[in-house]
Amino acid sequence: MSYSTLLAQAGLNGLVIGAMYMLMAVGFTLVFGIMRVVNFAHGEFYMLGAFAAFFTYVHWEMPFIVCLAIAALTIGILGMLIERTLIQPFRSDEMSGMIATLAISVIIQNGAVLLSGPAPRAMPDIVRGTLAIGPFSFPWSRLLVIAAAALIFIVFWLFMERTRLGRAMRAVAQDTETALIQGIRVNYMYPLAFGISVALAALAGALMGPIFSVSPFIGLTPMLKAFVVVILGGLGSVPGAVVGGLLLGLIESFTATIWGSLVSDILQLLLVILILLVRPSGLLGQREA
Amino acid sequence: MERSTSAAIDRDEPRLAAGRNLVPGAAIVILLAAALILPQLTPNQFYLHLAILVLFNAIFAISLGLIASVGQISLMHSAFVAAGAYVSALAALDLKIPPILDIVLAGVVTGLVAALLGKILLRLRGVYFVLVTFLTGQVFTLIALNWESVTHGANGLIGIPAISLLGFPLSTRLRFYYFALAAFVLVVTFIWLLMRSQYGRAFRSIAENVRLAESSGIDVSRYQIIAFALGSGIAGAAGAAMIHYVRFLSPDSFTFNDSIAYITMLVVGGRQSMIGGILGALFLTPLPEALRGLAGAQHIVYGAILLGVLLFLPGGLVSIGRGYFHKTSETEPT
Repeated sequence: MSYSTLLAQAGLNGLVIGAMYMLMAVGFTLVFGIMRVVNFAHGEFYMLGAFAAFFTYVHWEMPFIVCLAIAALTIGILGMLIERTLIQPFRSDEMSGMIATLAISVIIQNGAVLLSGPAPRAMPDIVRGTLAIGPFSFPWSRLLVIAAAALIFIVFWLFMERTRLGRAMRAVAQDTETALIQGIRVNYMYPLAFGISVALAALAGALMGPIFSVSPFIGLTPMLKAFVVVILGGLGSVPGAVVGGLLLGLIESFTATIWGSLVSDILQLLLVILILLVRPSGLLGQREA
Repeated sequence: MERSTSAAIDRDEPRLAAGRNLVPGAAIVILLAAALILPQLTPNQFYLHLAILVLFNAIFAISLGLIASVGQISLMHSAFVAAGAYVSALAALDLKIPPILDIVLAGVVTGLVAALLGKILLRLRGVYFVLVTFLTGQVFTLIALNWESVTHGANGLIGIPAISLLGFPLSTRLRFYYFALAAFVLVVTFIWLLMRSQYGRAFRSIAENVRLAESSGIDVSRYQIIAFALGSGIAGAAGAAMIHYVRFLSPDSFTFNDSIAYITMLVVGGRQSMIGGILGALFLTPLPEALRGLAGAQHIVYGAILLGVLLFLPGGLVSIGRGYFHKTSETEPT
C-alpha cells in the first residue's frame, strides 16, 4: 500500500472516530454545562444505543434509520427517568452527583452482562461497496457514519439555537437563577438536557455498532475519549466538543498509524494532562468564576 | 463562632473529654481482643481469608478517606495500589530483596510518585481533579499492560514470595492474618494521630471551605499534596503487602472497578470519619460472597447500595449510630 493511500485511510478513519467522539463529547459537555454533573455513566448509554441498534437491526430487521430513531428515543427517555429519580436529588452537591453516576454506570454495565452475556457480537455493515476517488477508495459504511453524525449534530445545533426550548436550555447553562426569574422551568430543563445528552451517546453507539463489535464493555473507551475531548475543548463548551472531537479522532488515527495505538493513547492522555495544567478551562472553554 | 468555643472547652477541660472517650476506648479494646482471639477459636480458612480482605479493603478505603479529607476524590487509588504491588513484587522477584523491605520500598516509591503527580494534578479541584486522576489511572494500567519486559504484560507475575519476618515465614493464612491486623492497626493509629495534629486541622478546614482556608493563610496546595502523597503511599504499601499474600499480580488485579469499590466503601460507611471507611469495608467486602449464587449480580447490588446510601443516608452507616457520641457536622466538601 502506498504512503498516500495509507494517509487517506488514516484520515478517513480519523474522521469516523472523530465524528463518534464529537457526538459523545457534545452530550457529555451539555450535561456538565447545564447541570454541573460529570456523567460517568455516559459510556453506558453509548453501549445501550449499540445494543438497541443491534437488536432492532439484526433480530427484527428494521431499516437502519428506524433503528437509530428507536435507539435515540428509548435511551433518551430512559435518561430522563434516571435524571429525574437518581441525579436530581444531588443538584447542590457536584461530588455526590458524580459518585451517583458511577453507581449508575456499574449497574447498567453489569445489568447488560447479566442479560446478554459478556461475549462481543458482530453487526453487519449497513451499506456495502466503496467510493473510488482517483487512486483512493473509501468504504460507504464509514462515509455513512460521518454523514449521519454531521446530520445529527446539525439537528441538535438548530434545536439549541433556533427553538424556544434550546434557548431556554442555554439560558439555564449560563445562569440558573436568572433563567428561573425569566420564567424558565428549570426542573424540566434538567431531565430534558440529560435525555438529549444520552440520546446523542446512544446514536453514537448505534452508528459505531457495525464498525466495532457490540458488547457490554464497549462504553469505557468512548467515555474516556469524551473526557479527553471536553478537557481539550473546555468542560461545558459545545463548539469545543466539536472541534476537540474531530481533532482528537484525526490525531489518534495518524499517531496510531505511525507509532501504534499504545503510543497514541499515552500521548493523548499526556496531552490532556498538559492542557489541564496550562489552561484548566480548555482550549475553547471559558474561565469559571 | 460556636466551633471555636467548643474547641476552647475541649482544651480547658481535658477530664471531660477523657470521660467522653472512655466508651469508644473500651469498644476499641474489646474489638481488638476479639480480632486477636477469635481466629484461634475457629480457624476456618475461608473466614480468615475474608477477614484479611476486610482489613486490606479498610486500609484502602481509609487511605482514600485521607485524600478525601482535603476535599479531593481520587479515581486512581487502585492505580497506586497496583503500583505498590508491582514495585514490591518486582523487587522481590528480580532484585531478591526480602519482601518486608519491599513493602517499605513500595510505600516510599508510590508516595513519592504521588507527591510528584500531586504537585501537578492538585492544581485542579473538584470534578477536574476527579477527571484527571481517572485519566492518569488509565495511563498506569496501559503501562502495566504494555511494558512487557518488566511487568510481563497481561500474563502477570507469578511466584511472588511470602513475607518472612526474621526467618519466620508468613506462609499460612493465620500468620498472615495477624500481620494484616498489625498493619491495619498501624495505619489507623497513624491516620488518627495525623488527623488530630495541626495537619488534620488544616485538612478539615480545606475540605470545609478552600477559599476561606486559603485566605486565612493555609497553604492549600501543600497540605493537599501531603494528604495525597500519604494516602497514596499507604495504599501502595498495603497493595505491596497484599500481593505477598495473593502471590500473583497482573494488570487485572487492581482496576478502575476497585477504585470505585473503595469509593463505595468510603461513601457507604461515611465520608466524614475514619470509622466510616472501616465500616464500609466490613459491610461490603463479605457481600459478594453472600451473593455468590448470582454471578455478576454482586456489582449491581454494590451499585444499588451505593445509590441507596447516597440518596437516603448521605452520612453513611456511621451516621446511624453517631448522634449518640458526637454531633455530626453536615458540611459536605465542595
